[in-house]
Amino acid sequence: MDRLLRNLFHFEAPQSIGTKIQLRAFEFFTVIYTLLYTWEWAFYVPRLSDVVLPLGVANYLNVEIFFSELATVNAIVITLSCLIPLLFKRLRWLYVPAFLLFHLQYVTRFSQGEIPHSANLVAFSLMGLALAAVFVRDIKKSLPFAFGFTIFFLGLGYTSAAISKLVATGITWPDGQHLWLWIGEKSIDILSKTGEFQLNWLQELALSSRFIATVILTFGLVAELLGFLVWWKHLRPYVTLALIGMHIGIDLTMNIFFKTFTIQLIIMGFPWNRYINNFSKRLRSLPLKAFGRYLLY
Amino acid sequence: MLEKYKRIIGAVLLINILLVATHEGEFWPFSIYPMFSQAGKPWSRGVVEDVRDTTRSDLWETKPIEAIDNRILPLEEYGIHEIDFANYISKTRSWNAEKINGLRTTFQIDDYPGKMWMATRVVGSINEQDSVVIKAIPMFLFTPDSTYKNPNLFPNK
Repeated sequence: MDRLLRNLFHFEAPQSIGTKIQLRAFEFFTVIYTLLYTWEWAFYVPRLSDVVLPLGVANYLNVEIFFSELATVNAIVITLSCLIPLLFKRLRWLYVPAFLLFHLQYVTRFSQGEIPHSANLVAFSLMGLALAAVFVRDIKKSLPFAFGFTIFFLGLGYTSAAISKLVATGITWPDGQHLWLWIGEKSIDILSKTGEFQLNWLQELALSSRFIATVILTFGLVAELLGFLVWWKHLRPYVTLALIGMHIGIDLTMNIFFKTFTIQLIIMGFPWNRYINNFSKRLRSLPLKAFGRYLLY
Repeated sequence: MLEKYKRIIGAVLLINILLVATHEGEFWPFSIYPMFSQAGKPWSRGVVEDVRDTTRSDLWETKPIEAIDNRILPLEEYGIHEIDFANYISKTRSWNAEKINGLRTTFQIDDYPGKMWMATRVVGSINEQDSVVIKAIPMFLFTPDSTYKNPNLFPNK
């Protein structure tokens, strides 16, 4: 167990420039995408009229009151609660209200029956930063904690997704016919969105052969099932590559691109700190000190 | 320090399990990630047909999607989220006046004189010949002046 925890939370050369860049890149990414989602949802919710499917805290609170400029007020509070700890590296407990209000913003926006998971990993990152601010405090330790916390729930999430498939459908889940049905379903979503739809090469290939469609689904299922292996540092880059490959496959076959997940996998799944430290001599010649004060810690 | 981290992870994991177990697998961001878990099940989505001729005989008939796919309204150009629309039209069970007006409000068709838009439910399934069959079911025709319900689906209303 301790070995697993060290794999999650220990960075080699924790005070090196490479580790600081990777951890702050993780924190910047989390805040930037929290704000992108927050404002996108704030601009959309005034169009909503009633709750179709309550999620999360919306089961206990009528979020229809946020179908107004209150969603914008919420977005302003989230923005301040994220930017102050990010840029000034103090009052980091503000990540706690930022996370809680981010949840509120999500359940307000997605009260119409759709349950998207594209922002889940960003939310886990924000939750990790919030917990770190409360329980760890020292930024030198809190950022590695938030990073490891996110990696833990990233691996758990992918493996859970695979288990859900095996429980709900069974071992026949990867049957190529199922992919045909999903391609048809997503073609209707694209048709509804843009007024037109054309099959791409991978969709045509999958539809031409049940065996090929089965191979595509099998790869996706295995990649997800092995997702928990990202918990171990030496396996992380390989599992990350498989998961990124799976996301590209989902995009090509079902026109659903998990852009945020993919970017976060790239930031977190590879030992960038080691790569950067290997080039640290060259980096020293760059004007890092001027920016380092704000960008690093 | 690792002992502390272990306790935090354990506590959050416990909260995760309790919340998803009591909220049908979803308490964002906690989730069992059930998307695409039920494979092979028939599905239901939605499109809006841009109707040009209301006198044609198959206006209210259920038909293959190919019969209307050259006149589908691109919802993104009208600021309507296609997934929200699909969920609204496919998951609403009781079409009372409030629900129908909610759909009409989403379209804001009053701003488009001369337009006639058919809110259409689309269903897909695999038939006995192992082929995917996609059918379009007309539900409501919206014009700037009126709303018409499919007489085959709502005969007495």
